[in-house]
Amino acid sequence: MTHLLQKVAAGLLLAGSLSGPAMAQDGMTIGLLVPTSGSEATYGQDMANAAELAVEEINAAGGILGQQVSTIVGDDACDPQQSVNAASKLASSGVVGVVGGYCSGATLPTLKIFADANIPFVITAANSTQLIPANSGNAFMINSTGNDQVAKALEFFNSKNINTLAIVDQGDAYSQDLANLTKQRWEESGKTVATTETVNKGEQDYSAVVTAIRSANPDAVFWTAYYADGGLLIRQLRQAGYQGLIAVGDGSNSPELFNIAGSAAEGVIAFSNPTAEFLPNAKSFVDSYTAKFGNAPGPYAPLTYDGTKLLAAAIEEAGSTDAAAIVEALKKANFTDGLAGDISFTEENTLARSNFIVLEGKGGAWALAE
Amino acid sequence: MIERSPINSPMGRLQGLWDRPGFRWPALAVVLILLVVAPYLFGPYATVILTNALLYVVLALGLNVVVGYAGLLDLGYAAFFAVGAYTIGIVHHVYGLDFWLTLPIAVLAAAVAGVIIGSPTLRLRSDYLAIVTLGFGEIVRFSARNLDITGGASGISGIERPWIFGWRMQSTLDFYYVFCVLAILAVIASLRLADSRLGRAWLYVRHDEDAAEAMGIDRVKVKLAAYVIGAIYGSIAGAFFAVNLGAISPESFSFQQSVLILMAVILGGMGKVPGVILGAFIVILAPELLRDVGELRLLVFAAGLLLVMLFRPEGIWPSRRR
Amino acid sequence: MALTDIVLQQLVNGLVLGSFYALVALGYTMVFGVVKLLNFAHGEVYMVGGFAGFIVLSLVSGTLGSGWSGVAVSMVLAMIGVGFLGVLIQKIAYQPMLSAPRLSILITALAVSLVLQNAVLGLTGGRYVPFGADLGFGGVNLGNLFISYNQFILVGTAGVLMLSLELFISRTQYGRAMRAVSIDKDMCRLMGIDVNRVIAVTFFLGSGLAAAAGTMAGAYYGSLWYFMGFLIGLKAFTAAVIGGIGSIPGAMLGGLILGLLESFGTQIPGIGSAWKDVFSFSILILVLVFKPTGLLGRSEQERM
Repeated sequence: MTHLLQKVAAGLLLAGSLSGPAMAQDGMTIGLLVPTSGSEATYGQDMANAAELAVEEINAAGGILGQQVSTIVGDDACDPQQSVNAASKLASSGVVGVVGGYCSGATLPTLKIFADANIPFVITAANSTQLIPANSGNAFMINSTGNDQVAKALEFFNSKNINTLAIVDQGDAYSQDLANLTKQRWEESGKTVATTETVNKGEQDYSAVVTAIRSANPDAVFWTAYYADGGLLIRQLRQAGYQGLIAVGDGSNSPELFNIAGSAAEGVIAFSNPTAEFLPNAKSFVDSYTAKFGNAPGPYAPLTYDGTKLLAAAIEEAGSTDAAAIVEALKKANFTDGLAGDISFTEENTLARSNFIVLEGKGGAWALAE
Repeated sequence: MIERSPINSPMGRLQGLWDRPGFRWPALAVVLILLVVAPYLFGPYATVILTNALLYVVLALGLNVVVGYAGLLDLGYAAFFAVGAYTIGIVHHVYGLDFWLTLPIAVLAAAVAGVIIGSPTLRLRSDYLAIVTLGFGEIVRFSARNLDITGGASGISGIERPWIFGWRMQSTLDFYYVFCVLAILAVIASLRLADSRLGRAWLYVRHDEDAAEAMGIDRVKVKLAAYVIGAIYGSIAGAFFAVNLGAISPESFSFQQSVLILMAVILGGMGKVPGVILGAFIVILAPELLRDVGELRLLVFAAGLLLVMLFRPEGIWPSRRR
Repeated sequence: MALTDIVLQQLVNGLVLGSFYALVALGYTMVFGVVKLLNFAHGEVYMVGGFAGFIVLSLVSGTLGSGWSGVAVSMVLAMIGVGFLGVLIQKIAYQPMLSAPRLSILITALAVSLVLQNAVLGLTGGRYVPFGADLGFGGVNLGNLFISYNQFILVGTAGVLMLSLELFISRTQYGRAMRAVSIDKDMCRLMGIDVNRVIAVTFFLGSGLAAAAGTMAGAYYGSLWYFMGFLIGLKAFTAAVIGGIGSIPGAMLGGLILGLLESFGTQIPGIGSAWKDVFSFSILILVLVFKPTGLLGRSEQERM
């Protein structure tokens, strides 16, 4: 019986550890909602690193409101159910605000949690237009949304005299949203969508889709999903002899695309948020990031760095850690210290300007197009 | 097979104690009290995780009717979960019917789905049944992803919370208690089912189909009943899951989800209600407790799973009536 | 493209995809035939096979180059190495469970698959690993139809492997023993057959074939990923069941049929790539409703 009691007691202790870290006694904590496990872990780690670097600089400059700042990571694994758990964990650790959000599908269900817990949330990567109506006012999107991306893409396709387009997505929230939006706007502008295709993540063999695309004979193929399967699709399109333009959305702006697609990625166009190598202000950021973490910052590092600094500035502006005051300060933000450009928000809490740039694959890396 | 549950192991001793009424009722009272006070003891994060565990208790008990009671392998149970969630998402959210009026529709839809999946396939051997259920599960998920009415891959969000007697279920705490009630109802229903006429019929069919048939049991009817009852559990869980999260998307109803629920059933010990409850808590709590292990937490979880099954091949709380 | 070109091209696509499915499905069906176990870790064995081939290739590419000769050597060595891994998995996770309820073994199989997946995830950091083979893009052009040399070699190799397996099973002593064990294990024991050894050989062969498929996939598609075994495992299981689980020609047939269903499903208007899996699963269910043992399976009395 004593054995049993010991076991029960041990179980209770274990359950006690579920209640998460105690509230920060002094100083304040910023939550990071990023995927640090699963298939998108490299992006998530990169975002966490960038936020950590920003916090280090903030602390060196005296902290926020005179208090030192620490971070706590909630791993959403790019999975909607796990992200709910991770967000609840952050919400109950007494964070003053949350920065992050990479996968739109995993970010969507967390909006309600942060709204209920009354926590300001700066979304630094996820940009599906589905996030906009689900936002109850405490979330701020500092990456341009799908609407801006589609506008940029259409402008580019028109400049290249593209008339028929094949649109391929991956059946997830982000890429399906971008594909639907593109299809709608493209048809509204009087052009033809030759075919729309959906592939499954991790399928490897896209030959049947490639044949379906070739038989529809489009001027351009637009891949709206992530780099991993995109790399394989591009490779198989080129191997099968497709000669037209291939463009990819911002989920595929990773340099990893060149590892997977090889030489087939030459000349591929990407619509992308500004990445560190193309930002004139980011030189010292790249240096200190590389010195600290041993690799170059990835595509969402600058935005996450900016998002963390933006949140800090808003708390300073609000003069307290009161959530309503911080949200108010964010709404009125006119942040000009960003690596990726100035940040101010629309009525819908989305970035007031489009930050999309056009990249082209050259010699196994991205370069500015035109 | 009694010798397979070692009486001397701690779990075996606990099981032995459990069978004594003098222990069982006080223990139950303690568990109930713990359930009620847990949110105050462990805080809001634990409340969310425990709510999730209770959801899995309902799901696992539902699948247990199919797998544990009737002995039918089902690899697509998440389909029923999806039917419940999407019925709420569509009829309640999109068409604005009251939640409590939608709930019976969800139950009916799941029962119909159970008959549709069950009737053409129940004559199949169990391995074939496994793949057919897997196929149905995937068909449901792909349809939810491709159709407009289900909101495509983004699913349906902003689902309104239900009112009951002028009180609105809203906070995580509210939903924790809602799921407590659901889990308790599921437990009572499962226990009563096991001891019912139908429960005994399942036992016969599970052990010897031919003999059961010779005894005058209509095996197809009996198996179909298991499917339909399991489907109803799943759809009720799905309905409350939808209003709790407020957002549903096809990814929540994947093959991995079906496997996780099945894991809860088998890990705890098929057919036994306490075992299934234990299994549900383990599959939800273990990965959360291992969060601090970081990237390798699933590796540790899987290795633990392997060890548990090697040492207790019939589950942690196996059935003694075999 | 003209309609005939499209049909022929999709036929080629389906055959290539089907060859992969068939090779992996064989492992499912052999193991099922002999020990009545749904080896859910088999997709992960394919994945590990791909990585094993990658490691061998990076070791031998200095001397043999990274063309087909290098890939062939890596494939053979990966098959042997991963074959032993299969035997090891069987000894650790399945052998002690043989007297347990069958569903419990399902969980150990799932646990093994999670272990393999997460171990590789840990080692690769979740990144895609370029396979590093250099096979060239050459091929035969027949009007609009294009068949690469790689596709010929791939389908040919798969054919040779399957033929050798068929010969092994029908002509050798081990093959006969495997067939005998699949019918009645206890009787075999009484007849003096070393049943455990036969089971080990079965796992060796099944895992070896999966490794061959994994290595070829790496070389053909160009990259490897820790999660690449999941979908193909699911599909190969489906293929094995369509053909009739436990039947070796059935697994080959099932693999090819599933590959063709998917490629033509993608092309047919009204189905398309978004619905192609719904299409193939529906066909699967129809097949089983009308032919409950799969296309080439034999009926047998069931004991749970």
